[in-house]
Amino acid sequence: MRIGGVLNLLGRLLIILSLMLLSPLPFCYYYGDLMATTFLICSFIGLLCGGCLILLFLPEEDLGYKDGFAIVCFSWLFIALLGALPYYISGFIPSFIDAFFESMSGFTTTGSTILSDIEALPKSLLFWRTMTHWLGGMGIIVLTLAILPLLGIGGMQLFQAEVPGPTKDRLSPRIQDTARILWSVYLLLTGVETVLLMFGGMDFFDALTHSFATLATGGFSNYNASISYFDSTYIQMVIIVFMLLAGANFSLHFMALHGDLKAYWKNEEFRLYIAIVLGATGLIVLANHLWGTYSHLGLNIRDVLFQVVSIITTTGFGTADFDTWSPFCKVLLISIMFVGGCAGSTGGGIKVVRFLLFFKYARLQLHKLIHPRQVETIKLGNTKVPQDVMIAILSFFAIYTGFFLVASLIITALGTDILTGLSAVIATLNNIGPGLNLVGPTQNFGHLPGISKFVLIICMLAGRLELYTLVILLTPGYWKMTRTPRMRFKIKGSATPASQRTYF
Amino acid sequence: MRIMIVGAGLVGQYLCKKFSSEGRDVVLIDRDEEKLQRLEREMNIMTAHGSGASARTLAEAGVAKTDLFIAVTDSDEVNLVACIMSKQYNNVATRIARVRNEDFLTPGLPLNEEALGIDLLISPDWAMTEEIVKLIHVPEAFDTAHFAGGKILLLGYHVHEDNPFIGHSLIELKTIHGGHQFVITAIIREGQTIIPRGNDSIQAGDKIYIMVRQNDMVKVEKLFNLTSTLPNKIFIIGGGNIGYMIARQLEELGAEIKLVEEDPKRCEFLSENLAHTIVLNFDGLAANDLLEEGIDLADLVIAVTGSDTTNILSSLLAKHHGTKRCITKITRHDFVPMLGKLGIDVALSPRQVAADMILRYVRRGSIVSIATILDTDAEVMEVTVPQHKNFDNVPLKELNFPNGSLVGAIVREQWNFIPSGETIIKPGDNMVVFFTKDAATAIENFFSPN
Repeated sequence: MRIGGVLNLLGRLLIILSLMLLSPLPFCYYYGDLMATTFLICSFIGLLCGGCLILLFLPEEDLGYKDGFAIVCFSWLFIALLGALPYYISGFIPSFIDAFFESMSGFTTTGSTILSDIEALPKSLLFWRTMTHWLGGMGIIVLTLAILPLLGIGGMQLFQAEVPGPTKDRLSPRIQDTARILWSVYLLLTGVETVLLMFGGMDFFDALTHSFATLATGGFSNYNASISYFDSTYIQMVIIVFMLLAGANFSLHFMALHGDLKAYWKNEEFRLYIAIVLGATGLIVLANHLWGTYSHLGLNIRDVLFQVVSIITTTGFGTADFDTWSPFCKVLLISIMFVGGCAGSTGGGIKVVRFLLFFKYARLQLHKLIHPRQVETIKLGNTKVPQDVMIAILSFFAIYTGFFLVASLIITALGTDILTGLSAVIATLNNIGPGLNLVGPTQNFGHLPGISKFVLIICMLAGRLELYTLVILLTPGYWKMTRTPRMRFKIKGSATPASQRTYF
Repeated sequence: MRIMIVGAGLVGQYLCKKFSSEGRDVVLIDRDEEKLQRLEREMNIMTAHGSGASARTLAEAGVAKTDLFIAVTDSDEVNLVACIMSKQYNNVATRIARVRNEDFLTPGLPLNEEALGIDLLISPDWAMTEEIVKLIHVPEAFDTAHFAGGKILLLGYHVHEDNPFIGHSLIELKTIHGGHQFVITAIIREGQTIIPRGNDSIQAGDKIYIMVRQNDMVKVEKLFNLTSTLPNKIFIIGGGNIGYMIARQLEELGAEIKLVEEDPKRCEFLSENLAHTIVLNFDGLAANDLLEEGIDLADLVIAVTGSDTTNILSSLLAKHHGTKRCITKITRHDFVPMLGKLGIDVALSPRQVAADMILRYVRRGSIVSIATILDTDAEVMEVTVPQHKNFDNVPLKELNFPNGSLVGAIVREQWNFIPSGETIIKPGDNMVVFFTKDAATAIENFFSPN
């Protein structure tokens, strides 16, 4: 690994985030909430750190495949740390681990919060809260690839490591253009949702922040009561539709925008995704009806559809407290928590396509028992899924299970009850937000012990980066090949060869 | 008419035989001098030694005087180059090339018939697939041909012991069953083709050709104690081009298909490109595996591997264990007549099928379509009745059709029917005429207005 080049890139990303930290400033002045100084200080700290890294370490051109993991992992970690500063410095979240939790929950589009009174936060801080969602949703590195030529070489590795799903669609020959396409679709959908929400009676601030949280499948709302605060069927419907869109593969939206609306239906993953949403909604509506949870059928359907979509897309908005529903519904909701959105979406979870291929593989093994000499290929749509992708998926399940188990053991060892502990890990590892019982939709994560919060922060990051990127950094073999960083200045005799070019 | 054929392979030889026996001038070009000498002795043709892709060879062989140019060597490139070169000569009216590469045959791809300026591109594998799929749609027949855009069918059947018409003459058949739902157009008995007259009768072991309207097919099959159901369980042995294309077309019928292929790499390709066919990886002669997969329960076995031996043996194995029907590919078409005796229902040679397709194409014109009946010397063609006083409003029986020929069906505008002697003929009608090779010239003259 070329640590010098990695740290240099990290510095650049920190500078980009520092500039993003200035984005709440207009709201500071408009609402007069005296937060401007906080954001300026945070931005300055970011610029300072980033600048130092760039000044110390020389950029390296030939960053390899393996360096991508370190870049993505470190940058997410440090960006979340930097993003936590406004909460901490402004004093609205006095404990730093809480601020870090809130920030990581934002960037990883989880939507779990430690705040019990969200409405007490100033508007600009609320804006920053959903801004972290929006940046994290499509990915900060993908954004950087899209707008700046900075990362130039090695873009594909970074893209691979940040965009979710077992395989990535390349929409154009150059990875920069692919990133640009994804971000433009993302931007367009955000704009459309904002306008539609304003038609429903929201003011610009609420519409924009909720669009950020929807499209990123985040789930932070500006109100304690989440979306039920608005109590409007129209608003809920708009949010349901956009959550569904955000949980689908963005390449499909791109194709649809180019007139190929059939692309949705031709995509096997998308069909399964919609089938799961409709199936789960149907079953829960029925259960709620028989259980007597709801007396009004229309309300039942509306609330259940919202919760199901909110959970499968891993958004985590709430309009109803599903913790009070029957055990059957809770088990079903927990099951779809694992499924998550589609590959190439902003959603978290294991991803529909992995489940699809997983079960196809199981079916293939069954067929093999009936026809021992049969040759069968696993196909997704009409294309063959290569063997190594299948193996990667199987090992993903193994790593996922292991990670889940270890995290759950640590949380419960710290004295949390089984339902709260397990559902907290599920909700963070899959980037959903609310869990059950003490971390249920009407509760928050604030009461958990500090170490638990730290474990959950790691879970959120692991979930967003789909485990491999994080777990590979934990293997000792990864660090064995670390090269000495090339410094811009001589430190204790380590010299930079004269022939090396400098870029700044 | 002068015909130049490049390539003295099986297709080339078969075409030479057909054309020269019809009294046409045939020039055969090939690189194998010995073979040419032998063929020149056996058949009444001229030969030229050299490559079909060489301009000098073509010129020396007299391409300038040729009307019909057919390139059927084993190499796509040679065939295409030869055809393209023949475009230099204005006299050449029709060009036909044999190609193997699917890219040339797929409609919509840039290098197709039109772009190459070749009238007919033909692939034995495609022709074979088409033929087999056609046969599958008429499960009891061993041969089929379509006329009048598929509304009239010519079907070949084996006469089994349980056929209720055995021993009856054609006149008796007519009185028993009244209407003219069908015409028996040819009887093949011990390799002899008979164009039947009223007093001829059907015997067990005969092969008969029946002309029938598509709507009446089911009724007629019932009369003959035959029942038609599309096969449901199909085994394809051999996953080459033919096996793959058949499987792809049969998948659309919703049949349950098992495809046996020996090469594991090819199996991967097949399983990747076929939707729900079960692809099995073992040798087509592995009796144990075939039985394990239930070949004895299959309605239809199609043996299309590259090896004639494997095809014949696996078909025999399947028949032995109770498969209802099998279609067997055999490259050496001289063996085709023997296979019937072994109990193989249908034996087809891809090259012969392709050659028949070429014949059909060449003989069109006022002849709408023509089919050669496999392994007999009889032919069927669809002719448009010319504008001539001889044919104006005359009953069929007064037309004095040449001996050895018979009218099987008449198509008038959108209406088609099986004629009797009293049927009035009008110019512009399409007639489906059945005739033996000996009558070919007589028929041609009969329809030319002078």
